[in-house]
Amino acid sequence: MGEKAKTLVKLENIQKSFNRNKVLKGVSLDIREGEVVSIIGGNGAGKSTLMKILTGVYKADAGALEVNGEKIEGYNPSIAHEKGVYLVPQEPLLFPNMTVEQNLTIGFHKNKHDVRSETKQLIEELGWDMDLNRLANSLTIAEQQQLEIIKGLLRNSKVLILDEPTSALTFSETESLFKVVEKLKASGVGIFYITHRLDEVFQISTHAVILRDGKVTLKGSIDEFTKDMLIQGLLPANNEKEYSDQFEKKARILENEEAVLKVQSISGNGFRNISFDVYKGEVVGLAGLVGAGRTEIAEAIYGINRVTEGNVLLNGQDITNLSVYETIQSGLAYIPEDRFLHGIFSITSVRNNITAQIMKRQGFFTKRKKEKALTKEYVERLSIKLSSQEDEIKSLSGGNQQKAVIARILSTNPQVIIMDEPTRGIDAAARSDIYQIITELKEQGFSILLISSDLEEIERISDRIYAIYRGTCSACLGLDEINATNVMKAAFGTYEGRDSYV
Amino acid sequence: MLSKIPKWNLVLILVLVVEIIVFGLMNPRFWNITILLNSFNDFIGIAIIGFFVTLVVITGGIDISGGSIIGLTSVVTGILSQVVGLNIWLSIILAILAGGLCGLLNGVLIAYGGVQAMVITLGGMLLYSGIAIVLVGLSGVSTYEGISGFPMEFSQIAYGKVMGIPNSVILFLLMFAIAYILLHLTRYGRSIYLTGINQHAAEYSGINTKRIITSTYVLSGLSAGVAGVMLTSYLGSARADFGSEYLMPILTVVVLGGTLITGGKGGVFGTAIASIIVGFLQVGLQMGGVSTQYIGLATGLLLIISVAFLGISSDFKSNMKRLITPKKIVGGKG
Amino acid sequence: MSRLKWVTKQREFRTFLFLVILFVVVGLVNSDFLSVGNLHNSLKSSLLYIVLAVGMTFVLLTRNIDISVGGVLGLSAAVSGMILRDGGSMIVAIVVAILIGAVIGLINGLGVTRLRISSFIMTLGMLEITRVVQVIYTDGQWIENLPAGFKKISQMNILGINLLSILVIAAVILVHLYLTKSRKGRYFAAIGDNEDGAVLLGIPVKRYVTYSFVVSGVCSALAGLIFASQIGFISTTAGSGIEMTVIAAAVLGGVSLNGGVGTVVGATIGAVIMISINSALVFMKVPAFWNAAISGSLLIMIVVTDVLLARKSSKQAKKERLSARVLQEGVEVHAK
Repeated sequence: MGEKAKTLVKLENIQKSFNRNKVLKGVSLDIREGEVVSIIGGNGAGKSTLMKILTGVYKADAGALEVNGEKIEGYNPSIAHEKGVYLVPQEPLLFPNMTVEQNLTIGFHKNKHDVRSETKQLIEELGWDMDLNRLANSLTIAEQQQLEIIKGLLRNSKVLILDEPTSALTFSETESLFKVVEKLKASGVGIFYITHRLDEVFQISTHAVILRDGKVTLKGSIDEFTKDMLIQGLLPANNEKEYSDQFEKKARILENEEAVLKVQSISGNGFRNISFDVYKGEVVGLAGLVGAGRTEIAEAIYGINRVTEGNVLLNGQDITNLSVYETIQSGLAYIPEDRFLHGIFSITSVRNNITAQIMKRQGFFTKRKKEKALTKEYVERLSIKLSSQEDEIKSLSGGNQQKAVIARILSTNPQVIIMDEPTRGIDAAARSDIYQIITELKEQGFSILLISSDLEEIERISDRIYAIYRGTCSACLGLDEINATNVMKAAFGTYEGRDSYV
Repeated sequence: MLSKIPKWNLVLILVLVVEIIVFGLMNPRFWNITILLNSFNDFIGIAIIGFFVTLVVITGGIDISGGSIIGLTSVVTGILSQVVGLNIWLSIILAILAGGLCGLLNGVLIAYGGVQAMVITLGGMLLYSGIAIVLVGLSGVSTYEGISGFPMEFSQIAYGKVMGIPNSVILFLLMFAIAYILLHLTRYGRSIYLTGINQHAAEYSGINTKRIITSTYVLSGLSAGVAGVMLTSYLGSARADFGSEYLMPILTVVVLGGTLITGGKGGVFGTAIASIIVGFLQVGLQMGGVSTQYIGLATGLLLIISVAFLGISSDFKSNMKRLITPKKIVGGKG
Repeated sequence: MSRLKWVTKQREFRTFLFLVILFVVVGLVNSDFLSVGNLHNSLKSSLLYIVLAVGMTFVLLTRNIDISVGGVLGLSAAVSGMILRDGGSMIVAIVVAILIGAVIGLINGLGVTRLRISSFIMTLGMLEITRVVQVIYTDGQWIENLPAGFKKISQMNILGINLLSILVIAAVILVHLYLTKSRKGRYFAAIGDNEDGAVLLGIPVKRYVTYSFVVSGVCSALAGLIFASQIGFISTTAGSGIEMTVIAAAVLGGVSLNGGVGTVVGATIGAVIMISINSALVFMKVPAFWNAAISGSLLIMIVVTDVLLARKSSKQAKKERLSARVLQEGVEVHAK
């Protein structure tokens, strides 16, 4: 790019912690006019925290921030807007029942007619076709993002942050977004582009930055990099960390066995043509990035969403599109991804939570004694810490809440358990407890389908891994292929695999 | 936190005891057990609908159509037995079933249609009392006098006694027992709570929440049917506007009884005590020579105070949620 | 041209169309229904409900509800009625009524925003309290013998059109412009539409929610004055049960109980429909007892259709979003 382009934003040695958890460990970054800087990183690498600091939502613990060469103190979102830094969020925050124009003008201290003519001019320049009188809830995600971009440009933004803008866009929508990015680039706007898709990085960015574990591991002009280099940058530096607990994995000859769970090329909303098998006593990982479609697959198998094509077989019995209750009865259980939204009954007792799924097997009346005994059994078995069975579950720690959910699942006596992000949001001790539980379950012959965005976790626990990339199954890793590099590559859709998987 | 509701029940019992003592001191006649028991007839409708509206509210819904279902069932009873000439007991059963049908319509539209309970039952309220008025109009009965001339055995429903205890008290206890057993002792009741606390989690646990929600409205409609029959028997005629003033009292006893308006918590015991408190308040004030109009002041204040008290705890809940959520984001490293 | 298209897309337009159809159909059966005199009467008898529906719209837009309107109506009518009966000045009576409405609205608003009591319960309690206060204040008596001058106000005509009607219609238009065109007026709908978004934009949410209750209180008080002037006496049950009719009118007029959607013009049309059904039945020689059944089923049908349509489109949107993420055929990498 131009040699003497002005530096728009400069971040120096930014640090940020939440409750002793260091999320950013000294990040330095800058962007000049007309640059598109791709920021790539796994889940939890600190991308969103960094962007929130850049837009003034969070305050950095240490480090300096310069906008337009000026050092900024006491930064906040309104200063950010004033200085021309604007974030286009992944899920646009619009007012659904207002028109496009109303969304653009609300809360904006400017004459409405000026706004309108400016908007019209912008839309024309960008070559978009947007009716100002349409209701926001009738817009597609792509149009909502366009609206957010216009919102940013109306505020004369010089730095736009696009947070995974293509995650919900169709191919042609993506193309038109890229054209806009090109135009903005030409007009001197600096763009931070957050993405998981490496192809896009090479297609539109001028620079790439890789963030891992709160640090920048790779930074530079895009033409210096290849895909493989980017993947390497995403991987942990030394793979030989000492772990307190070990997982026994044995390669098994599976040809002679009948799979417990057979998923045969199923399609549905958010995924297409997915096939995999789970055998007795093994942990199968479903790796992939957030939004790759793993939860949608799990929910379709479980009966929450519909399977439009293909079959799911459990012990040879067809369980495709059964109701949730029937699925549970036939021996498949699911631990939901979002514990608070789908997992726990927050304002009732631990006992009621644990027994929620076997009520129906008790007959018309609930049997208090039986429930108490059952709860006692599981509380001891999973070492759930509580003072009384009558404790409200929300008074428990995240880890103990999760154990209670696991107890509830186990009480239905399933053969296959789908665990969706079982260790999200819980502390280290509880985490290793849950690993312990998984190991025990495996030994007892339960089959587990583990969905996790935690690379280490899925790599260490799984006997085999299927990788989901943009709703399709991109690779299957056998025991001997599982290592951090391969899992990472597969999650980003670049794993070529052994010859047999090409 | 956990013992909040039982504690609230204690408060209610205390209020009831104080009420009885104070009114007794004002007018010793209040301590006459016969008078107290007979007064049940005056609030039985509110109480028994309240029991089942409690179930509705626990699922996270609301039902304001109960009062107008009273009017409808009253009219249906009257027309079937007096105009069509059916057997009185058959008429009663059909009328109660009609109440259940109204509840079914409410429930289906709310649970399966996904429309706000408030709107549907508001429309239902207009519709059911509208049907009652239409039925009266079409049958050519005088709107003001209503349908009368019921047989003796029909008025026995409200005025009869079993071993010296008025039927209304027995009905009160019976309906209370049904609601209590259903809600607190059966898996159906447990499903009601779980649905109200977290409908998503209930669905993920294999509970058919739509069916559960629908059924609570059906029960609420049936109970309104029973109340309609009772009121018709008590007042000796069938009229479309019976129960029209019950809307607010029903909700008052449910909320006063400690049931969380947002669902998931509460019980019929509280509703029962609250309905007795409100009912006795009326009797006591009448006896004490105070205008009955003051009842509203007392119940209104009680309502707001109790909700403010219970509402603070729900504030707690959202704080808890806020505490848990950021942890989740921060902890989820990969 | 596009303006015309835009108009037809509005929710209010549907309601308006319905109103027109109602009048035309009834007019075909009995042309007297379309006479100027009847239209005038329909408007006059709707006034009370229009004013209440306008206030209710403010509250509904913020995703709250106000059940206490009937109580406020009764109380303010009773208090100012007594002032007038005892020879007080009209100005004082009007100011007192408005003050009563504003104070009760303020209490409602503070209860909802500060004590976080659900608006349904808060205003339900307030309904009971205002009723009792009214009874205590009036000693349970009806208030009659209002001065003729005051009663005359509702009958005054300008150019053959009822003065109050002109005032109310003008006020509705002004309020409509305020809510849709002015920067601050749009905050009400924004709060109900997306409260988090409103907070992000720096809209003082609590303050505007409180305002909405105050507006509703004041409107109820004004309705109380209209009531007193039109009817000429105030019973102890004045306005009882009116809250549900008003909510039904607003919903009929396209105001959503989910907040963020609706206009006062829509609510006004809804109110006129609710009242016109009554007289329409009379003109069609259908017994008036059909009234409630018709408005009830109408309300249910309109709301259910609305919800089903909205749900269908949101489902479709979700589906599109999810499938956009999926890698399409031709670019795929196979596992096995």
